[in-house]
Amino acid sequence: MFKKHFLVLGLVAVIVLLSFSVSMAAEVIKIGALYPMTGRAGLYGKDSEAAIKIALDEVNAKGLVKGKYKLDVIITDDQSKPDYAVSVAKRYITSDKVKFLFGVISSAVGLAVTEVSKDYKVIFIGTDHAATDLTAHKFQRYYFRVSNNTYQSMFAGAMYLKDMPGWKKIAYIGPDYAYGRDQWLELRYGLDKLGVKYEIVGEFWPKLYEPDYTSYITAIIRAKPDILVAGFWGGDTVAFIKQAKAYGLFEKMKYFHPDAGGNYELFAAMGDELPDGLILSARHHNNWPPTKENKAFVDKFYKATGRYPSYAAQGAYAGILFIAQAIEKVGNPNDTEALVKALEGMKLKLPEDPEGFTSYIDPKTHQIVQMQAIGVTEKNDKFPPAKKMLGNFKVYPADKLMPTDEYVELLKKTKK
Amino acid sequence: MMNNIKGQYIGWIVFFIVFMSLAFLNPTEHTINIASKILVMGLFATAFNLLFGTTGLLSFGHALFFGLGAYITGMVVKSYGAEVFIPMVFLGGIISAIVSILLGFLCLRLTGVYFTMLTLAFAQLVWGITIKWYNFTGGDDGIQGIERPPLFDTFSSYYILILIVVFISMLLIYIVRSSPFGMVLRGIGQNPKRITFLGMNVYRHCLFAYVISAFFSAIAGGLFAGIDGSIHPNLFFWTQSGGVILMTILGGLNSFFGPLIGATIFIILEDVVIRQTEYWSFVIGVIMLSAVIFLPKGVISLLDFIQRLRKT
Amino acid sequence: MEIYISQFIGGLSVAMLLFLVASGLSLIFGVANIFNFAHGSFYLLGSYIAYQTISLFPNFWIGLITATIGAGLIGAILEFIFLKRLYGRVNEGPFQILLTYSFILILDDAVKFIWGPEYKTIVKPDILEGSFVIGSIFIPKYNVFIIIVGIAIALLAWYVLNKTKAGMIVRASSLDRTMVGLLGVNVSMVMTAVFGIATALGGLAGAMAAPLRTVTPGAGIEVIIDSLIVVVLGGLGNFWGALLGALIIGEVNAFGILWIPQWASLLSFAIMIIVLIFKPQGLFSKSR
Repeated sequence: MFKKHFLVLGLVAVIVLLSFSVSMAAEVIKIGALYPMTGRAGLYGKDSEAAIKIALDEVNAKGLVKGKYKLDVIITDDQSKPDYAVSVAKRYITSDKVKFLFGVISSAVGLAVTEVSKDYKVIFIGTDHAATDLTAHKFQRYYFRVSNNTYQSMFAGAMYLKDMPGWKKIAYIGPDYAYGRDQWLELRYGLDKLGVKYEIVGEFWPKLYEPDYTSYITAIIRAKPDILVAGFWGGDTVAFIKQAKAYGLFEKMKYFHPDAGGNYELFAAMGDELPDGLILSARHHNNWPPTKENKAFVDKFYKATGRYPSYAAQGAYAGILFIAQAIEKVGNPNDTEALVKALEGMKLKLPEDPEGFTSYIDPKTHQIVQMQAIGVTEKNDKFPPAKKMLGNFKVYPADKLMPTDEYVELLKKTKK
Repeated sequence: MMNNIKGQYIGWIVFFIVFMSLAFLNPTEHTINIASKILVMGLFATAFNLLFGTTGLLSFGHALFFGLGAYITGMVVKSYGAEVFIPMVFLGGIISAIVSILLGFLCLRLTGVYFTMLTLAFAQLVWGITIKWYNFTGGDDGIQGIERPPLFDTFSSYYILILIVVFISMLLIYIVRSSPFGMVLRGIGQNPKRITFLGMNVYRHCLFAYVISAFFSAIAGGLFAGIDGSIHPNLFFWTQSGGVILMTILGGLNSFFGPLIGATIFIILEDVVIRQTEYWSFVIGVIMLSAVIFLPKGVISLLDFIQRLRKT
Repeated sequence: MEIYISQFIGGLSVAMLLFLVASGLSLIFGVANIFNFAHGSFYLLGSYIAYQTISLFPNFWIGLITATIGAGLIGAILEFIFLKRLYGRVNEGPFQILLTYSFILILDDAVKFIWGPEYKTIVKPDILEGSFVIGSIFIPKYNVFIIIVGIAIALLAWYVLNKTKAGMIVRASSLDRTMVGLLGVNVSMVMTAVFGIATALGGLAGAMAAPLRTVTPGAGIEVIIDSLIVVVLGGLGNFWGALLGALIIGEVNAFGILWIPQWASLLSFAIMIIVLIFKPQGLFSKSR
């Protein structure tokens, strides 16, 4: 009886001592993250969460600034609601004393949270939302984005189309809100800049989360475009492709979806059903670049969760690494101004960087500059449950994809 | 009846003391933020319940008025500066009231679920237009950085402003509810035919209640614009209309303070539970389910229960 | 001309799927007068149960059956344990809203907890793969299947509700439960059965929609408003009304997309406004 008590007591003592020694060893720097964890976008939140854990393990294993600091991330479900996210972000800063705001999938939430970051002078690392505005005319100096924006992917798309022979007529379908509208604006801007001649034969605006695209599909087929550009994300892409397949849409035109079409969740959800020859891209690919860094990241993710990551994971992973490197460089997590300076122009080798290229943050706009790879669907069962993945990649140089000043002016004029 | 009035007195005093003392207890910014939202949503729910709790007419489109109030204040302040903030809150109420006359004219000819769905349709239409009319409303990016009015430009002083406006507004709604007019409304809820036989116009009474309700919903929306300085089209969305319905029923729709209590519970639950767990939806669902089963008159019946305990 | 035919047929299949999803709500809300906000959650459950079944026994039809029975059973159990307690309470209607909303919160999270956040898919059975091609018009076989099932459900519902004793009891119960009870009918069991059948229809719709849509948490709440529109447009308590409502929404959208694509996403609400202004009790108004 006594023995047992002693054993328990001893155990408690050891645990207390251990936790003490840990907390004595390193000061914890808190990061306040906002991700959707429920509903359709919940997948991106859950994947980001898993990637954050992977990054934290790597960073905290040796600690920051010679073991003086450790990172900790609090995640709250922002429900993709901007007004709720703002109140959480403020609570993070005023009550939880976070040093960084982090994450966000929805651009509308991003635009709301960047105001909080500006007002409270707290650095906000955007990991996934893609609205160009945030690093253009809505730019503020405490905001940094570590994934590509829609301008970058759509401009790469325009370059792809320029090199593609034998097309003239083009149509667009995208969700009826800012994200869908921006992509189409940016692609046309890119095509005009590159001097490509084209004829628009249709624009279609289903609502976000539209369950049934049948009537859109028949109308698109009637418009007879050579290329159908799509601006969906997530489940909407899946539903559209499933429904369009039975109408033979993919035999009648090229399907071109350069911002979020190549997200892994599409491949996972559709398996064998996915048609070959769709031209897609995403902000991160599980099978490109074929570097060991990318493979290591994807494998680690698979080991941790039992599934392969959607593109959101890599952004979250990158965000934590950027924060760690900035703190390492400055040596003091409280000196926000110095951290901003350190992040400007910072270079970091990320899983999605091909051989010979390193991602960096543009000092002027705080937008990460990365290569964009556009591929074509083909058989590949190395990432189950997907049966098809992208292949035959064409890679577009990062420095060509930054929004021009002229475009930023255009944004200022067309959007308040 | 007498006892009831005394109960209401106590309600008002408790309401004022609780929210006033919050301002002096050296609260954190987050506490004030949450308290501000409770007051604003409480006013919204109380205004909504002026129609629902008396006549039983369920509007599924009250977000239209809340959103209108928020957007009128937000957009004008954004263009002309914070000096016009307070006048705009009231202008928002008046414009909303005018809009509600037009809508009420169409919707109140309908009854039951048809009324509910028609109000929903109008609100959704306005939501859609707000998203599409990018150059005017800012689309689904919403409006950011709305300044608070001068003199009330800190979070704590703005809270005082909210408290004053909400308190006065709720008093006015209370006066309306307990006036003969309010009695007629309740009569309509019980038996509209009897009201007609008594020579009174059901339609006109409902319209009047609808307009008052819209006015105060917009006041709440206008105040909301200043809390975080950030508003979005989802203020017009059906989930916002749905939220206020749920708050009202949870709190207790037959009691004046029920909606305010419902709003308090909703907002505190949302804040506390989501902070703790990713499975907040499950937890809140279970709490709500238990409340429905065990508190058949809404959470406010807990108070009756306590009162009964004291008497025995 | 062909374009109109192909838009029309497209609209028809949109309409039938809408009707199928809404049919359960039409029964429980329209006929039995019980509001089920969580109808979409049973639709969601149906998709997932079918997915689970098919991943164990790779047969689409077994999946349809288990989804229908599973969603129906869960619905009946929830009605029996919880909803039953509300009957006859003051403000019964409002509390039905609140209770069934809590079902949404619980079921949506349960789905995410059990099956994870990833998108799932169900593959169409081979026999329904591909399309009938007439000239340049494509009609996917699966859409034809949906149209047939939709019509079958409408016919069956009409027959059961209007021509059988069980249907009469259900309709009578929606008007006055006490009265029907006094006549010696076990109203309580009738209500449980009706709720179960309604949620089973929701589950069937979810399983049938899964090969065309995305199976993901949160998909349930997205169908509820569309279903409500369909049920109310035609006038409560009438399956033919719901069918007509779905047809109008489907076809107006199909041609709206052709002529005014930029406003297509708002058409459903515009239709509802126009219909209810001119027909304040829905298209097939019945005095109740």
